[in-house]
Formats: sequence, structure tokens, C-alpha cells
Amino acid sequence: MNSFSPISIISFITLVLGQVLLFNHLHIFGSINPIIYLLFFVFYRFESNQTFLILLSFLIGFSVDILSQSGGAHTIASLTIGFLRPLIIKYAFGVTVETPQSYFSDSRTLNKLVFLILLIAIHHLIYFSLVYFSFDSILLIIKNMFLTLLFSLILIGITLSFYPNK
Amino acid sequence: MQRILNALLQYRNPVLYFFLLALSVSFSFNQSPFHQYSFQKYGFYLSSKLYYIKNALGSYYDLKVINQQLLKENEQLKKIELSLGDLSLYPFDFKQPKRFPFKVKRANVLKNSYKNQRNFLILNIGSDNGIQPEMGVISKDGIVGVVHSVSKNYSNVISILNKDLKINVRTKKSPAFGSLVWSGGSSFEFKIEDIVSNAKLSQGDTIVTGGMSSYFPLGIPIGKISKLNKIQGSGYYSVDAILFNDLSQIYYAYVIENSDFKEIKSLQKNISQ
Repeated sequence: MNSFSPISIISFITLVLGQVLLFNHLHIFGSINPIIYLLFFVFYRFESNQTFLILLSFLIGFSVDILSQSGGAHTIASLTIGFLRPLIIKYAFGVTVETPQSYFSDSRTLNKLVFLILLIAIHHLIYFSLVYFSFDSILLIIKNMFLTLLFSLILIGITLSFYPNK
Repeated sequence: MQRILNALLQYRNPVLYFFLLALSVSFSFNQSPFHQYSFQKYGFYLSSKLYYIKNALGSYYDLKVINQQLLKENEQLKKIELSLGDLSLYPFDFKQPKRFPFKVKRANVLKNSYKNQRNFLILNIGSDNGIQPEMGVISKDGIVGVVHSVSKNYSNVISILNKDLKINVRTKKSPAFGSLVWSGGSSFEFKIEDIVSNAKLSQGDTIVTGGMSSYFPLGIPIGKISKLNKIQGSGYYSVDAILFNDLSQIYYAYVIENSDFKEIKSLQKNISQ
């Protein structure tokens, strides 16, 4: 996905609508809603413009927040992920010549998994901390984070498996 | 300017991130009262901790000022206390407005002796502060003495630990009066002379100032009766008293000014002439 193309705009809108209309209403085991729009941070090419990504990540979180009437937690969490993504890439794929140009151009499964887990875990940690916003409910935050992480990871993994490695 | 722009361009990602973060945080807090409340709670917790530390550090340096303020406040309270003590012994006079000619001035004790037979104190206020000879001096729980002589900034006080000084006293319950005299032993033990034996006294009665001298107003608690004997054939009690006041540990005192002092003195002069 290049930085600004019709396809990217369509995928942006699809992810936001899918999150708001479908995945926010799943309520697995009563309360778990997997977060799918993080796929956007996987699709975005690794060497593309970082400043533009920060703007886009703000926009995507803001859209989800507006449409699902949540307080602003999605905005802050996805904005932070957009800002931290280069660090996560460096950690997951290593600072070598082999640093891939996009998620799909790399073939190492373990590195991809680490990348996905880090991305989702950091997002969920920030998201649930902001939702509960209290030191007293720290156990609840961690519990929710891990359970939602599991389901988000499964969903994102399944979706990504439809795309062939380039 | 160029440099600032360069720096901004170089760090455009963090700058953009924190700008948008601030935007979304403010957006979030405007949206939800819960977040606003929680944030204020943490903010309040932090600021209270901070002010606690600041207060703990700063309060030591403020002690002197606060001490002065407290003394000033005490001075006013002492005056009210004295005027109340004056009234309470005459319960029927409550409703009538009564003249109370006594004023209170606070003072530090600079020198205090209590081991001699005739003891004196020196206070740090003198004629410049309106102190004159023959004013009464009290402390927080009892009387201290009477001003003997004054200089410009200091005054010399005859302590009640002085065999020459006699103070007019009475008990709180009975109106019988006598004179408080130091027996010359420990700084607590006093004798009360000249109480007639038909007065109803009992051990443990509180002794207050009698109000018949022009030095002290009526009703300042001084001590209590520790031993009571009727002297056979003389018609007087022999009373031992213990003072509330520890005269060896006085650092602050209040000088009582009687604004009617001259009037009383001139009357006494007329009588003697």
C-alpha cells in the first residue's frame, strides 16, 4: 500500500467501517471486541513517509472514536502506535540490511509474529489503560489486554493469510 | 529562524505526535466527565503531595513569624479571658455592661532568677512600649510578679518568688481573702496568710487573684490549696498552696496595664492626707 492511493483510501474506510459496524459488536465471552483496524499499520509500507503515517494514525483512531462514540482512547492508542512503529519494526526485524520494505516482503514467520504481537499489545495496553483510567483496576486492564490481544491477533493473522507474500 | 525551522523539520515526527496527542487528550477529556474527574483526582493528589513537601520545607522558616502571630493572638485572647474571669464570679452581673480597665501587653522574659530569696525578672519591653512601675505581670497559667522599675526598652519585675511581695488572693468558691506569700522554699510552695477561720475552705480549692490590688484583675487562677489548718486561738487559717505556674520556666509573659491606676492611687493619697 503506497502512501496515498485510491486503494489505500478504500482500505482505510473499510477498516474503520468494519471496526465500528462489525467488530465493536462481537462481544466474545461477553466483553471482548477484537480490534481490526490495526491491519492498517501492517499494510502501510515500512519505508513510506513516517510523518504522513502519524497523521493517518490520528485520523483512523479519531474516525473510530467519533463513529463508536468512545472517549478518545482509540485516537491516543493508534496515534502512539503510529509514532512507535519504526521502533517496533527495528525491534522485530532487526537493524540490518535485510530490513524489509513491507510486511509482506519478509518471509520470517517468527519476526512477523513478534511484530504483530508488539503492535497489538502496545495498542491494547494504552487503549485499556485509558478506558479504565485508574490504578485500582490494573488487574482488569491486564486481563482485558491479554484476552483481546489473543482475539485481535487471530483475526489479523487470518486476514493477513489471504494476502500472498511478495 | 532558519535553525528553528531546521530543528522543527528534523524533529517533525515527535513534534507532530505530541501535538496530536495533546489534541486527542483534550478531546478525550472534554468528551468524558469520568476521565476529567480521574485526571483531576490524580492532579489533585500530585499537587497536594507537592504542597505538602513545600510546606514541610517552608514551615520551619516561617516559625518565627507564626510565633509572633500566635503571641499577638494570645495577647487578645488573654484580655478576653481576664475580663470573662472577672464576670463569672458575679453571675448576676452578666447582663450589665461592665467597665474592664485592664489591657494586656505581651513580652519576652530575658532574665529570670528563682534560686534567691528575692528574685527578679527582666522583660524586653519598657517605657517606650507604655510600661510603667507597678503593673502586674502574668504568664499563661498564673501570675508572675509586679513591675518594679522600667528603662526605655526593658523593665524589671519583682517575681512572686520574693519574700517582700504580697498578693491579694481569694478562693474561687469563698469570697474570703488573704495574702499570698512565698515561703522561700521551692518555687511551687506558697503560704496564704490572714484568711479568717470562719471562711468555708477545703483542701483542693482553686486560688484566684482577689482583685483588691490594682495590679491584677479579679479571677486569674493561681494555684490550689494543698494543706489547711486552723491555728488554735488566733482566728486565722494556716494555708499552704501549690502554684499552677512553674516560675523557673517562663519565656513569655503578659504585662497588665490598669488604666484606672492613677485614679485609684490619687484616691488612696487623699485618704492618707
